Amino acid sequence: MIWENVLLAINELATVKTAMLMVLGVACGLIAGAIPGFTIAMAIVLTLPFTFGMDAAQGLATMVSVYIGGLSGGLMAGILTGIPGTPSSVATTFDGFPMARNGQPGLALGIGVWSSFCGGIISAILLMTLAPQLARIGLEFQPWDYFALVMFALTITASLAGDHLVKGLIAGALGLLVATIGEDDINGVARFNFGSDALLQGFDFIAVLIGLFAFSQLLSDVQDRETATKSLAETKSVRIKIEHGKAVLVLMKRWTNVIRSALIGVFTGILPGAGGSVANILAYDQAKKASKNPEQFGTGTPDGIIAPETSNNATEGGSLMTMMALGIPGDVVTAVMLGALLIHDVIPSPSFIRDEPQLAYAIFIAFFLANFIMLALQSFTLKIFVLVTKVRMYMLASVILAYTAIGVFSLNNVQFDLWTLFWFGIVGFTMRQLGFPLAPMIIGVVLGRNAELNLSRAFAVTTDLTPFFTRPWSLFFIILGLFSTFFPLYQKQRGKRPWTLVYPSLLSICLSVPMFMMGGAVRPVLGALLVALGAYFLIQHHREGWKLDPRASEAHELQAE
Amino acid sequence: MGRINRDVVVAVALMFGCGVFFWASLDIREPDYGTLAPATWPQVILAYLLLLCVVYLGQSLRAGSSATAKARGETKSWLERYRNPLWCYALFLLFLFTLPALGMLIGGVLFVFLLLCVIGGFSPRNLVVHAAIALVMVGAMWALFTFGLGVILPQGKIFTVL
Repeated sequence: MIWENVLLAINELATVKTAMLMVLGVACGLIAGAIPGFTIAMAIVLTLPFTFGMDAAQGLATMVSVYIGGLSGGLMAGILTGIPGTPSSVATTFDGFPMARNGQPGLALGIGVWSSFCGGIISAILLMTLAPQLARIGLEFQPWDYFALVMFALTITASLAGDHLVKGLIAGALGLLVATIGEDDINGVARFNFGSDALLQGFDFIAVLIGLFAFSQLLSDVQDRETATKSLAETKSVRIKIEHGKAVLVLMKRWTNVIRSALIGVFTGILPGAGGSVANILAYDQAKKASKNPEQFGTGTPDGIIAPETSNNATEGGSLMTMMALGIPGDVVTAVMLGALLIHDVIPSPSFIRDEPQLAYAIFIAFFLANFIMLALQSFTLKIFVLVTKVRMYMLASVILAYTAIGVFSLNNVQFDLWTLFWFGIVGFTMRQLGFPLAPMIIGVVLGRNAELNLSRAFAVTTDLTPFFTRPWSLFFIILGLFSTFFPLYQKQRGKRPWTLVYPSLLSICLSVPMFMMGGAVRPVLGALLVALGAYFLIQHHREGWKLDPRASEAHELQAE
Repeated sequence: MGRINRDVVVAVALMFGCGVFFWASLDIREPDYGTLAPATWPQVILAYLLLLCVVYLGQSLRAGSSATAKARGETKSWLERYRNPLWCYALFLLFLFTLPALGMLIGGVLFVFLLLCVIGGFSPRNLVVHAAIALVMVGAMWALFTFGLGVILPQGKIFTVL
């Protein structure tokens, strides 16, 4: 069955046009990712209008290619200029830039490229094998469970957005509120249209998303008058040959770091809200802790490049997994991809992989192939990167602003969408300035209608609220949601306050309760393992006399810096 | 007054917004069918949002007024700081208002040209470079969407008159 789907998907993608689009997508992603201040999400957002005219598989393959390219492109700027191209490659600069300055830029780039490739391939394999299993679990979800899952996605996105949890939660609630504007999907009754016919249709969520994210990002990029008129990065003409052979040997010697970092990346990607920007720091921190020579980190050690680059490329497999298997976008990028699927009348949900296997496997295969294309294109795009960095930011921003306007108009061919872009551009920029994270609001806008629909379905069955706590999956997500609310505080005070010592154990033990409730053979065993894990942590802390270790919060501090 | 800072103002504004939306939610029609009334979900969100705003307000009041002490009475420096984004908004607004008349091609070229000049400067060399960028880039995008993707972009009344 799987092979049949794989073959059908290959057949779908095996056209010259798709291949060319994927090559172009990877190349554009590599360049976009390499430009400091130009995020991957922005590149994906800008790709979206081009996919309207394509079929779903072709459009998604192009977007996946841009994403893979973007994740890998950040390393070029990080290693050669010391300025990370994207937040996903912040940790790459810690050792990549020193290694390049020590006279080994070719090797540094080679390690970065091959680490990205390995991260991508490991994550693609996990995506192909785990996503269908996760979707099978998702098919068990009833409206109560799905509603609790959406709430969990919102709380964790808010909690991972930074230190300001309340601002994150407010942003999420604002997103949910925006999604209620217009005619409601269930009863067809007008809400908050304030007498306007245009508002009756509600806001097109792609226009909202582009306004909130891309429009406001561009304005932030040109806000400073000096940097707006400067070149994107001070890169002199470089003649660097990427040392592929040496880099592969370096990676083979450090395969444990590769595997560990890839797994960190995939797991971080599965969590809604946590993307490459979190994964690269986490993986770097773990690589440093596991290293025999941690003092070498920051001076140009290969492990310091392998960990962030492997993990940031692996996150995409994880976030695609939750998007495709559960219909929950993990970050802004997958939210846009979800939008792309909706435009093509495909609704990502637990039944997506079962109902649309050809498209689902086409995404898997595209993800796999894009990594090979990325590997082949790195040397070529390195030359273009040097040219692109000579462009001034204000020129790029002005042209892209006009482009977003054309792109947004082409969504529905209505001028109201341009006004949506304008107003949400203002909202997004203001929120950025006031320190509100945008990701929870975007997730709120995307999932708001879904949450209401499932709440309504749940109420159609019974108006009793107890199923939210008696249904195992619902309880599972409620527990995760509650613990994720305290996660920022835990991260900040880890090892400094006694309560942080029991937090993981308590989470583990609490999560075992719904696992036992699920019944069957495997899940109660997993529940028992969770109890054992929680007990092990408690016993270990007891043996150590509940000793606090302030170094435990190093990763968080690194990220905050 | 000493405790008022930017966050306090934002929290109060958000609470005011909650009030407006809650008031508007009372006007939502109640149909005779369905188990979840159309106003219920928005009201739940608004109640939750209001609760968060109260927490946010409390946090902001506790933080004190240090953040705004510097900013108070510095409208000129504020305008200076946000000069470029304000220009972007103003020109985009102009672009939107003139779109039915000028159309996407002319409106887009003018928007990009003016924005480039406002941010990059009006020197003779810049004028030429900016005009070239605006013409080539917007023209190429317009052609791509019109002929390549088959999107019917607003033509503008100006073409009808001409």
